[in-house]
Amino acid sequence: MTNDAKATFTSIKNPDARTKKRNAAEKRFRAYGLLAVAVSVVALLFLLSSIWTKGSGAFYQTYLTVPVTMSAEKLDPKGNRDPDEMKKVTTIGYSKLIAQNLIDQLAVNGLDTSNVSDKNIAKLLSSESAATLRNQVLADPKLVGQTQIFTFLASGRIDGYFKGRVTMESAALDNNTSPAQLVIADEMKNIGILSIKFNWKFLSAPDASELRPEAAGLGVAILGSAYMMLVVLGLALPLGVAASIYLEEFATKNRWTDVIEVNVSNLAAVPSIVFGILGLAIFINIGGLPQSASIVGGLVLTLMTLPTVIISTRASLQAVPPSIRDGALAVGASKMQSVFHHVLPLAMPGIMTGTIIGVARALGETAPLLLIGMVAFVRDFPASPPSGFFDPATALPVQVYQWTQRADPAFTERASGAIIVLLGFLLVLNSVAIFLRSRFERRW
Amino acid sequence: MNNMIFLERNVQVEKNKIAAQGVQVFYGENHALKDVNVDILDKTVTAFIGPSGCGKSTFLRCLNRMNDTIAGCRIVGDIRLDGEDIYEAAVDPVQLRAKVGMVFQKPNPFPKSIYDNVAYGPKIHGLSRSKAELDEIVETSLRRAALWNEVKDRLHAGAIGLSGGQQQRLCIARAIATGPEVLLMDEPCSALDPIATAQVEQLIDELRSRYSVVIVTHSMQQAARVSQRTAFFHMGNLVEYGETGHIFTNPSDPRTESYITGRIG
Amino acid sequence: MNNEPHIASAFDRDLEAIQAMIVRMAGLVETSLLQAAEALETRDEELADTVREGDKVIDDLELQINTEAARMIALRAPAASDLRTALSVIKIAASLERCGDYTKNLAKRSNVLAQLSPVGGSTGSIRRIAKAVQLQLAGAIDAYIKRDYDMAVEVRNRDKDIDQMYNALFREFLTHMMEDPRNITACMHLHFIAKNIERLGDHATGIAEQVIYLITGHLPEESRPKGSLPSSATKK
Repeated sequence: MTNDAKATFTSIKNPDARTKKRNAAEKRFRAYGLLAVAVSVVALLFLLSSIWTKGSGAFYQTYLTVPVTMSAEKLDPKGNRDPDEMKKVTTIGYSKLIAQNLIDQLAVNGLDTSNVSDKNIAKLLSSESAATLRNQVLADPKLVGQTQIFTFLASGRIDGYFKGRVTMESAALDNNTSPAQLVIADEMKNIGILSIKFNWKFLSAPDASELRPEAAGLGVAILGSAYMMLVVLGLALPLGVAASIYLEEFATKNRWTDVIEVNVSNLAAVPSIVFGILGLAIFINIGGLPQSASIVGGLVLTLMTLPTVIISTRASLQAVPPSIRDGALAVGASKMQSVFHHVLPLAMPGIMTGTIIGVARALGETAPLLLIGMVAFVRDFPASPPSGFFDPATALPVQVYQWTQRADPAFTERASGAIIVLLGFLLVLNSVAIFLRSRFERRW
Repeated sequence: MNNMIFLERNVQVEKNKIAAQGVQVFYGENHALKDVNVDILDKTVTAFIGPSGCGKSTFLRCLNRMNDTIAGCRIVGDIRLDGEDIYEAAVDPVQLRAKVGMVFQKPNPFPKSIYDNVAYGPKIHGLSRSKAELDEIVETSLRRAALWNEVKDRLHAGAIGLSGGQQQRLCIARAIATGPEVLLMDEPCSALDPIATAQVEQLIDELRSRYSVVIVTHSMQQAARVSQRTAFFHMGNLVEYGETGHIFTNPSDPRTESYITGRIG
Repeated sequence: MNNEPHIASAFDRDLEAIQAMIVRMAGLVETSLLQAAEALETRDEELADTVREGDKVIDDLELQINTEAARMIALRAPAASDLRTALSVIKIAASLERCGDYTKNLAKRSNVLAQLSPVGGSTGSIRRIAKAVQLQLAGAIDAYIKRDYDMAVEVRNRDKDIDQMYNALFREFLTHMMEDPRNITACMHLHFIAKNIERLGDHATGIAEQVIYLITGHLPEESRPKGSLPSSATKK
């Protein structure tokens, strides 16, 4: 019988060289991970803060409060309050009226306007203001002859002055404004004629021309995007879910279904501009649908979102354990009944999450919309559905693109503001997705 | 001789409920079940025992055509329920499964309320004409599954909140709600603790008076406790089929004896 | 000991069934003992034949009990007190079967004795010891049914009384044999009868010891209190 020597005692308290090396390597790996996270967070904060600082100004706008006497001789020479007759008075007439009222108001308040011409005083107002007043009077002829206080937009440069874009030095070099005007603007602010208010019109007004950045709004873009999202939801969700259910539950698994599955996965990775070309060729050229319409944009985005919906629906269906299906079948349910009564309700949270994420992605797509012509300058709001789908419109990301192309630096602010609005919508959609997922999550 | 006490062991109803002849099952190329001939008697508990992979679950699933859901599964042979061939083209598996219920190894209640779990089967088969009738079916099934007293005040609570043993009894209630004549149980107690197992076994004993029960179990002791007839499967063959007491005290086939005494398997 | 029912009621039914058989078997043995003693005293040959026939029933019951106990062990895998119940039932049945054999032997000898002239007073003594042993048996079975430890110990202790009664009978028959040699044949039969009854009493004590095993889990350690004198005792 061999007598083994006493087993050498290895202490567990002091780690050996290999353990030390391994521990060091793991520590380093953790440090790398932490560093990566820190870099990402810093980059994100940097991005967000730069967007915020550039764009938050868009939500505030400079207004002038002026009491306007709508004198009947100027606005309604014939005197019969007939809108068709009154239309003959153009915006030029109105702008003169407003300017006169403004000058009077300044005089009443004792401002010294000697060094500024009347024309330049008028330029303190936005050129939009005349059109706004004219529309109001034509809509309600009874206003003629009355004196009311109106709030008008200040011009772009004045607005820029209060937001820091325009300074006295730059005003001296600027064609559209002068330091003297800025001084008057300051004094108007002091006496209360000029005020800076929250700009609801940013969200509700349609786009404005290059010359009037102060009047530019996202109204049409938001409506256009909303219509497109409705089309996407209305088409992609049922089609995608139905296709996925068929592929997953009912189709026999053979080479054809494999081919289809591979293609669907690949479609999800196709660059979105390709869908734009496809949309142009099929929907506009062959299908004859109007260009720039939300329906075309919606259809193109549906094509883009469909693979995402199909893939996420498939994953949700696969996540339902087979024991549920077996249990339903064993009780005597048919295949269809087991899918619709049991599997689908359990898969619904996953499906909804996937759909909302797909829709959120579609909300931010620009490239395909450019190709189908949604880049046009659209001033009129599309009508309400269903005919509204065929009216020209534009979309939020496209609007951002357009505004960045314009020269006036006020549009940069507008563009950043639009980005903030877009991010806001995305945040809301994703929060809804998270809420739905956590609320309906079931344990089985 | 005083055999009065053991009357229950004599199989009084000699009627065949399910008759299987020459049944073979192929999973693709794999010949899983070879030539099985067995008669399941009415109002009796029949146990299928055997080592893993011997084909007992496969054969069980043939009895209610659950093997139809497995791709590549081919069945040869004759299986008759009350004299009717269940694999005939005219037979709708849905109708068959209303008559032959199944309980699975892991309790799988639907993630709905207790009431909805039991009511689902009768609803889709149109077994009740009014809410009151449905309520009655649910109550009867839960009583027969020995679960009524424990859940009668929370019928609309979720079924997932029940304990393992209660969930399995709920699955049994769900299976008997459609008024089946045969109950198939595929290792119903393997996921349960010993006390829950004993409760389910007591339940099976009570169910015997109404239904034919076929139970697949990998525990020989469970087959011994619960069944009146036992079939021993080995490597796809049905080796021996007989009265349970006989199988466990004096089996005829040496393979059966080897398995029961723990020498093979 | 646990008096709660099993969750599986079939297990309780099986246990009750085999215990009912033991009780029945013991009843048969007691009856045949008393009948055999009566047949001896009244020299009734028909009664003795009934006792001899009755032994077949007792033997069959033992077989049945063995089969059922084996079946219960195979099917139920009993543990603890249930296992001891199954094992003790087998042993008690074996004891009772031996008791049945002794009463059959008693009946056989009583037929023989009926042909010989009676020995004065002896059958009365036999009847008394038979009665005492029957009470022992009844007490042991009663202790079994009630799972009563004290009763079982009492039965075990009373065995020495039986032994003493047997010793007294032994001396009585010796006296009869010495008085009249013509009595020797009859007295020898009577002696064997007495010996058998005393052995029957030992079996009853054995049953009581099985009851103690059933209740406590081990057989009683101290040896039985004995009352037998060395066989060489003679009367002056």
